Amino acid sequence: MILSFDQSKKLLTKYKIPFVKGELVESKTAAFNFVKKYGYPVVLKIDLPNILHKTDIGGVILDINNKEKLILSWDKLSKLGKVLIQKQIGGVGLIIGAKKDPIFGPIIMFGLGGIFAEALKDVSFRLAPINKKEAKEMISEIKGYKILKGYRGQEPVNLLKLEQILLLLSDLITKEKIQEIDLNPVMADSKKAIIVDAKILI
Amino acid sequence: MKLNSIFNPQTVAIIGATDRIGSVGRGLVKNLLDNGRSRKIYLINPNRNKVFGIKTFSEIQSVDKKIDLAVIAVPAKIVFKIVKQCCEKKVKGIIIISSGFAEIGTDGALLQSKVIGLTNRANIALVGPNCLGVLRPSTGLNASFAPLSPNNGAISLISQSGALLDSVIDASADKSYGFSTVLSYGNEAGITLPNFLDWAGKDKKTKVISLYFEGLKNGREFFNVAKEVSKTKPIIVLKGGKTKTAQKAVSSHTGSLAGAAEIYSAAFKQAGLIEVNSLQELLDVSKALVWQPKCKNGIGIITNGGGAGILATDYCHQLGIKLTKLDSITREKINKSKEMHPGWSKNNPIDVVGDALSNRYKIAIDALIKQKDVNGLMIIQTMQVMTEPIKNAKIIINAKKRYPNKPIVTVFMGGKLTNPSINLLEKNKIPNYSDPMRAAHAFKALINNN
Repeated sequence: MILSFDQSKKLLTKYKIPFVKGELVESKTAAFNFVKKYGYPVVLKIDLPNILHKTDIGGVILDINNKEKLILSWDKLSKLGKVLIQKQIGGVGLIIGAKKDPIFGPIIMFGLGGIFAEALKDVSFRLAPINKKEAKEMISEIKGYKILKGYRGQEPVNLLKLEQILLLLSDLITKEKIQEIDLNPVMADSKKAIIVDAKILI
Repeated sequence: MKLNSIFNPQTVAIIGATDRIGSVGRGLVKNLLDNGRSRKIYLINPNRNKVFGIKTFSEIQSVDKKIDLAVIAVPAKIVFKIVKQCCEKKVKGIIIISSGFAEIGTDGALLQSKVIGLTNRANIALVGPNCLGVLRPSTGLNASFAPLSPNNGAISLISQSGALLDSVIDASADKSYGFSTVLSYGNEAGITLPNFLDWAGKDKKTKVISLYFEGLKNGREFFNVAKEVSKTKPIIVLKGGKTKTAQKAVSSHTGSLAGAAEIYSAAFKQAGLIEVNSLQELLDVSKALVWQPKCKNGIGIITNGGGAGILATDYCHQLGIKLTKLDSITREKINKSKEMHPGWSKNNPIDVVGDALSNRYKIAIDALIKQKDVNGLMIIQTMQVMTEPIKNAKIIINAKKRYPNKPIVTVFMGGKLTNPSINLLEKNKIPNYSDPMRAAHAFKALINNN
């Protein structure tokens, strides 16, 4: 079974894993209120837990930075299902995951997100629970580490925040009865690292 | 765990002892008798009065002495009955060579669990079933049907596969390295791989542990034991079956990315194991770790061939082995020697040039090994018409004696003309490799990570 948005958010909050500002909105007005509170830009997503790639079915609309676009996007997505509004944040997209391996039990994964994870398999693994040193190693051993360190004048991402998420997720997968979890993407920049989407299988 | 009855039994009963050509039982009897020393061997076979001219017993109870170890090579269907007799005889250890248990399916698994029930209740150490057996050269024990007995040494080779071991034993027979233990654990119904690993970690005769397996029954237990043992002894692992099988339905990215092969490799790394990619590399690395001390990163290379030196440099770079810069003292020493070719490389690798006689090797080795931040040497020799392999080997052996804490690995490349010098090197525990790539992989294992 796959956890809903609310269930996922609750579980991540329990482990103090930072989740992007966002909520399920049942009306346009609710979406407007969200924007009033947190400002543009925002993202609209459908909350369909069974779909691995929301983007493949047009279920994610990015870069919504004015009222007009918000209304258009709302009309489009609300036909497909429940709508989730989130603050849009920038940075480097990463994937942090964990699962129960049939041979070794809880394991944890780190890598560059999106196509890098899938096409290049640029990810690292450890058995959970991990310590701080192991979290550091996981981050530094992927090929994309250079990108995280700041490539061609880009500011380096906050590696300490990433380590922290790894340690928190390691704790979660060790203690909770869940099978698999994707934190994908985790957006990281020089100041923060925040989970934008999560998929949790129990 | 007390495994003395398995590794150094005083009395052994072979059940299923025979001299029938082509049988497992014959191999067992021959091996146990050949290496018997002071050990007393009893042959059990109700269908033969004599095997190799030795009187047999019809069953283990007929032996009037205590039996430490029973080695069973009878058809699976009567193993339960035989094990029951062994329990009544109060043997301390049992090796079940016979196959036809959990590896063949549910019927076999049921039979296996019944047998385990017996040995557990009787508190008997059990190896197998479905295994090659146990070889312990240091006590002269060969309780296996391997084609030969391996040389005595300090490597514990523990394998899921028995057939691979047979070939390793054969291949190592004319080499200078040897084994403290060779065993295949088969279905690990009694003593498991983590048990053996823990034992090898404490075994005084074992300096290096080499593992081969395709899969683990209890990955977490293996991981925990390996992590402890690797703190005090190097563990080298070759994992078979890394090809991805059909992918299950994808439910998460983590699920699809975390293939078994990747997780195994991550677990090995995290537990401090050295993972290798071939059987040759397993033995190459084992040999280096048994014979040479470990060192900090930063080594020196000496060669009489530019190409070989460049290849070695490439491989070292790929594996993260640093080449130390020559300091002015080293450079000066070589320049002032007057015997070095004026066109020598002036850099690390030190190229002593193709026409080098032994004196040039000696100058380069002496200068380089003395430099403080050169922590180890790789010495390459290509076979030129004027090259003096035996003299070079002697210079290396002598340098090693003077600097026992700096590892030396050689790459004497060649065959007919080179082999006598390679034998001399290896007799003196200098590991030689026919290719700079193999030497680089071995050296990598000698370098401390921190």
